[in-house]
Parts: sequence; C-alpha cells; structure tokens
Amino acid sequence: MRTTTLTDERCHPVDFDDTPDEAAYRARVRAALAEHADELVHLDAGEEAADPREQEQALRRTQRVLAEAGLVGVAWAAEHGGQGGSLAQQAIVGQELARARVPSLINHIGIGMCGPTVIAHGTPEQHERYLARLLRADDVWCQLFSEPASGSDLAALRTTAVRDGEDWVVNGQKVWTTLAHVADFGILLARTDPGRPKHAGLTMFVLDMHAPGVTVRPLRQMGGQSDFNEVFLDDVRIPDGERLGEPGEGWRVALTTLLNERVAVGGGGNDLGLSVEALARLAADRLPGLPADRQVLARQALGRAAVAALANRYTGYRRLTAISQGGLPGPEASAGKLAGTAAAKLVADAGVRLLGDDAVFAVGPGDDDAGRWQRNQAWLPGIAIAGGTDEVLRNIVGERVLGLPPEPREDKHRPFHATGSRA
Amino acid sequence: MNFDLDTDQLDAAAGARQFFDGEAGPARARAALEGGPLAPGRPALAGIGFLGITVPEAAGGAGGSVLDLAVVAEQAGAVLAGPSLVTAARAAVLLADQPDLAAALADGSRAFCVVDGDHPALDAVGADTFLALVDGDLVVGGGDVVTGQPMDATRGLGVVTLTGTRVLVPDAAERWARARDVAVVALAAEDLGTAARAVEVGVGYAREREAFGRAIGSYQAVKHALVDAWVGVEQLRSLVWWAAWAADAAPGELPLAAASAGAFAAETLERAAETCIQVHGGTGFTWEHDAHLYWRRAKVDRLLLGDTAEHQDVVAGLVLAGALS
Repeated sequence: MRTTTLTDERCHPVDFDDTPDEAAYRARVRAALAEHADELVHLDAGEEAADPREQEQALRRTQRVLAEAGLVGVAWAAEHGGQGGSLAQQAIVGQELARARVPSLINHIGIGMCGPTVIAHGTPEQHERYLARLLRADDVWCQLFSEPASGSDLAALRTTAVRDGEDWVVNGQKVWTTLAHVADFGILLARTDPGRPKHAGLTMFVLDMHAPGVTVRPLRQMGGQSDFNEVFLDDVRIPDGERLGEPGEGWRVALTTLLNERVAVGGGGNDLGLSVEALARLAADRLPGLPADRQVLARQALGRAAVAALANRYTGYRRLTAISQGGLPGPEASAGKLAGTAAAKLVADAGVRLLGDDAVFAVGPGDDDAGRWQRNQAWLPGIAIAGGTDEVLRNIVGERVLGLPPEPREDKHRPFHATGSRA
Repeated sequence: MNFDLDTDQLDAAAGARQFFDGEAGPARARAALEGGPLAPGRPALAGIGFLGITVPEAAGGAGGSVLDLAVVAEQAGAVLAGPSLVTAARAAVLLADQPDLAAALADGSRAFCVVDGDHPALDAVGADTFLALVDGDLVVGGGDVVTGQPMDATRGLGVVTLTGTRVLVPDAAERWARARDVAVVALAAEDLGTAARAVEVGVGYAREREAFGRAIGSYQAVKHALVDAWVGVEQLRSLVWWAAWAADAAPGELPLAAASAGAFAAETLERAAETCIQVHGGTGFTWEHDAHLYWRRAKVDRLLLGDTAEHQDVVAGLVLAGALS
C-alpha cells in the first residue's frame, strides 16, 4: 500500500522466512526424513510406547539413522563429528523432526549438554573417543550433578573423588539423574579437595556408567513415569585420563554444562512439551460442545495461554537471532526458561478448562486427549524445578542481567570442610 | 530468519531517546496533572517528524514502517510523552489515500483525534480534526470535547460529540479495523517504553537503598519481583516487534499479533508500575516521586482500545479459526 524502498535497501530487516539457502536446506532435510521414514520412531507428543526397553532400542536406532543422514550435531564442527552447519540449520532440523512427529533424540542430554562440555574442556583423545559415538547414540549420556543435599546449591555437593595412583576413587550419591538407567557414560562433578572453598574444590570426570560400583535405581516421578534415577557410587575407579579439565576447575567446567542446559531447555522459546498448537486442536474439538458460560471462561484461558506462548516463541526467535549473529548464550536464557515455564502452565490450565470433568477422570496412559492433558498437568510442577528452579533462575537474572547485589553467601569463601557440610 | 532491529532503527531509537529526554519527562507529566501543557506537544513532535513516520513521503512524511514508528513510540512511552504516537499511527492508516489531510497530520497543521463511539478518546484535548467510523463510513469533522478529571493528563482523554462531519471514505470498515490494530501496536510500543523505564527506576533504587544492613535488591523477595517485571518487559518487546513487523510485511498475521501485544502490554505495564511503587516503599506512593506517573499511565492504558479480556477473546477467536494451524 506504500513504498517500502527504505526497508528494501536496509541491511538485515526483520524476516521470519527462510533465506534461499535455508529453504534449500529445509527441502533436503524433508527429503531425507521422507526417505528414512520407515526406519524412524514416530510419536505424538505425550504418547509413549508400551515397552520401555523396546522404545529405548527404537530411539537409539532412530538417532543412528538420523546421524548417518547428517541430521544430528548439525551445528557441531566437522572435526567433532558434526556437520559444521549453522544454528539456523540446526533449528530447521528441529522443526522438521517435530513436523514429522519424530520424538526428542534419546541422547538429547548428551547432545545439548555433555557433548558441548567435552568439546570445550576435553582433550583431543577424549574428543576422538566420545563425540562421534555420542552423535550416533552408540553411547547415551547423562549428567551426574545434583545430589540429595545439593540441588540448587550445586557447589555444596558431597560426592568425593580421591586420587589413588593413576585412578580416582569415587564415593557418593547422585539423584534426579535423567536417563541414567539407559546411559553408557555420564559427566560427573565430584569434590576432590574439601580443604578449599566449595567452588574451588571440584573436578569434572567422564564416568563409565557400566563400571563396577555404579548402581542405578529408577525414581518414579509424580506423573508415574520413570525418567529420573538415583545413582549410587561405591568405590568406583575412574582413570585420571577421564578427567575433564584440571583438578579444582570443575565448577568452571560445570558452568559450560549449565549454560548449555538453559539454552537447550529454555533458550529458543521451547514450549517444554506443552504446545499451543495442540491446545488449539483441543479447543477446536471441545469448545463448541461446552455450555455457554463455560465457553466464555475457556476462551479467556485459551487466549491468555496463546498470548503467553507466542510471547515466549517470539522471544526465542530474538535469542536465536542474537546467537546466530555470534552472540554467546547468556543469562537471558534463564529468563527464557522462566517465561517458558509460565506459558506452559497457562497452556495446561487452558487444556484442563476445555476438558472439564474429563481432565480428572481420564483412565489413561492411553493416547486419548484426556489422558495426555492429565499427564501434562502432572509434568508441570517438575518443569519449574528441573534444569534450574524458578527461584535460582530469578537470582541469576537479577544478579547477572539487572545487576542487583547477591544475597550474602557466608559459606562461599570458607574451606568446604569448615562449612558444616560433610564431604 | 532475522528478528532484531536493523541499524537504521537502532539509530532512530537513539535519536528519539535524546529528543524525548530533552523535551519530556515525568516532571512534565506531573505538571500536566496540575494543568500544565503536554510535553513535547504537537508542534515539537511534528517538527522532528514523529507524527509523519508512517505517512507516505509524497505527503510529506517519512514513508517508514510501523516497526520504525514502534521503535520511536517506545522512547516516547519511556518519558510519558504527549500527545501519543498512537493517534499518529492510526490516522496515517485512515488517511492513506488523503494526501492533503495526511500532510496536515505530518506537519502538525491539524490536530487529529480518532473517536471510538462514546469511549473516552485518546488525544482529544486540543484536537481540531476528528475521525470516526459512522455507519460503516469513515467520516471527518469537528467535535465538542468534554474532559473529565484525568487519571493521566498526558493521554488527553475526552468524550467527543462529532460536529459537521462529512464522509471521507465510504465502506471503510476494513481500513478502520486495520487502523485500530496498528493503533493497538503503537499503544503497546509506548507501554513497552513506560514499563521498561519503571523497571529500570525500581532496579536503580533496589541497588542503592539499604535496609537491615544491606541493599534491598539483594533480598529475593524484592529481586524476584523485579525480575518477573523485567521478564515481562522482554517478552512484550518480542510481541511488539512481531506485531509492528506484521503490520507491513504480513498483514494476515496483524490481528493475532496486535491483539496478543495489546493483551500482554496492559498486564506487563501494570505489573512493572506496581512493582516500581512497591520496591520504593513509603517514597513510592508520594506525589513527588515519579512512580505514580508510570502507574497512572498503566491504569489508563489498560482500558484504551480494548482491555486485556477483549484482546484475549480476539486471540481465542482467531486461534479457534485456525490462526495457529
């Protein structure tokens, strides 16, 4: 309706469409997914296979097929087994996998968190040994950080690693360890020097999950599923060559992992498994059948949820733009997880209002609407805790982004053994 | 994909910030409550070209995009400037094929006000040319303005009785709807600026003010309230940019994006302004402090051009009609 020459001449105007290169790449990805469709697992969100063991094998196969098609580790450097592609290409693969109803890669923790940590702090030998197998899901990885007495206060962890000749001997307990029950390796944060202040006495290792002394016990979550585990470590020997980074540098190494975790969980405007598109489909099915007064309330809940989900999605696009222009993922990713959690709650709430009594009486774990949205509800409290509690994320944003002073941390500079915590 | 301002827009934001810091501010907004003039006022806004950002170059405007305007509107909102860029944005759409009137909008020789029935109209105070939709036609004319006790004097609210109107564009319902969506985006952009400033003021105080031996911003109760307000501001920024971009580049997305931005803006600004007051404690609810001026803007804007519930209902209707599929 009016001239746009001003915009046309500008560098980098806003554009949500694929560039010609991106469109060509998307077409290649789509063709590859179609070609291998028979070899891939396809699941709707919230759907689960009946036999977990069978599902694990199928998911490992799926990731291997995708890796061989060049669709895993898209933005990793070629020297690390990746495709040397862009983050935009990686995002395109994610979108196309979702479109093809291929579930999250089984090694998502390895790809999102452990792998980047090994890349940043590992030796060339470690790169060689682990990264290509990780991308193919030949080895599945987990992250052994949280402990019964140190969740948000991770640096207060008590698992010890004591040097013994060429090995370290590890004793302690980890908890809330996603995928430990299927993992082949994990990155393990342990205390190697209790005489130093808590952050300075930590060291990171690669742990062979099949080593003697490693015991994994699944934890059942409130929704009934078992994604998390307890891991008991009794005189587990780790060769010194499996150390990641220098002794005493474990906290710095862990920050790499945590930063990647926030980006993986909330950085890109992730819907945390509660998709507004699924809500829209539910609304189209259910809303017309509700009594008029209930329709009004359901419409308001739907509108509120959609707005929050869109705000989160478009904020994710801004972060992806910043990262793809060379910006480092920063504490803003913590804000993304906070907003994503809040949006997910609104989406689930709207789903419940649409379902009414069915949200309570679902007999589930079938793949019907009611069962799925009931599981969604039981998943929500965990979203606000796993991968950084809302409270810790607010501290990170408040201190690193807004520049507000930290709370006094009276144990921060004292030797760990003098803080009343027992390693 | 690229979702960020371009360098021209970043430059425009910096320039606008400098202009508005010199020409307006909370002290002027407070004075307006006691009968003082609007700041910067129409002549100054016209002089720097901000009333014609989206007016075509042929009519003496800058021929810019709605996103160009939103970037400037954010800076206007930060200092509670008046009159609004909302009316300028809306009138520019309504006057798209009226070069003489569009030129008068851009150069400030006419003072426009857009009227929605008997709702209090934005920028009615001092207006001499009124636009309205009557029986599906866009009309222009004069008007009698009744002002009340203003909650936020910078908004120039008045109830308008149209006088001596003539039809400017027959069957203009579609154009009217687009103009209203663009106005909602501009309002959300101003609210973004106000909310960001309210959070900034609150954060600044929380870093300095001490209680129980340390800065109050170190306490999680205070810190977390400010973080929630800030996260809201950054989420709102995304909706405003998306909606402003859509106005020109993807008009089919504009109704969803504008209603989303409008719904989110009202709640975000309210939370930011209320948090700003709460963090300031006893100082925060004095006449002398600026906090209540941001709060006044929040309390007025949340009812302009549709409240949150109306916007959410629009979003729900569009989602049910397949806007996300």
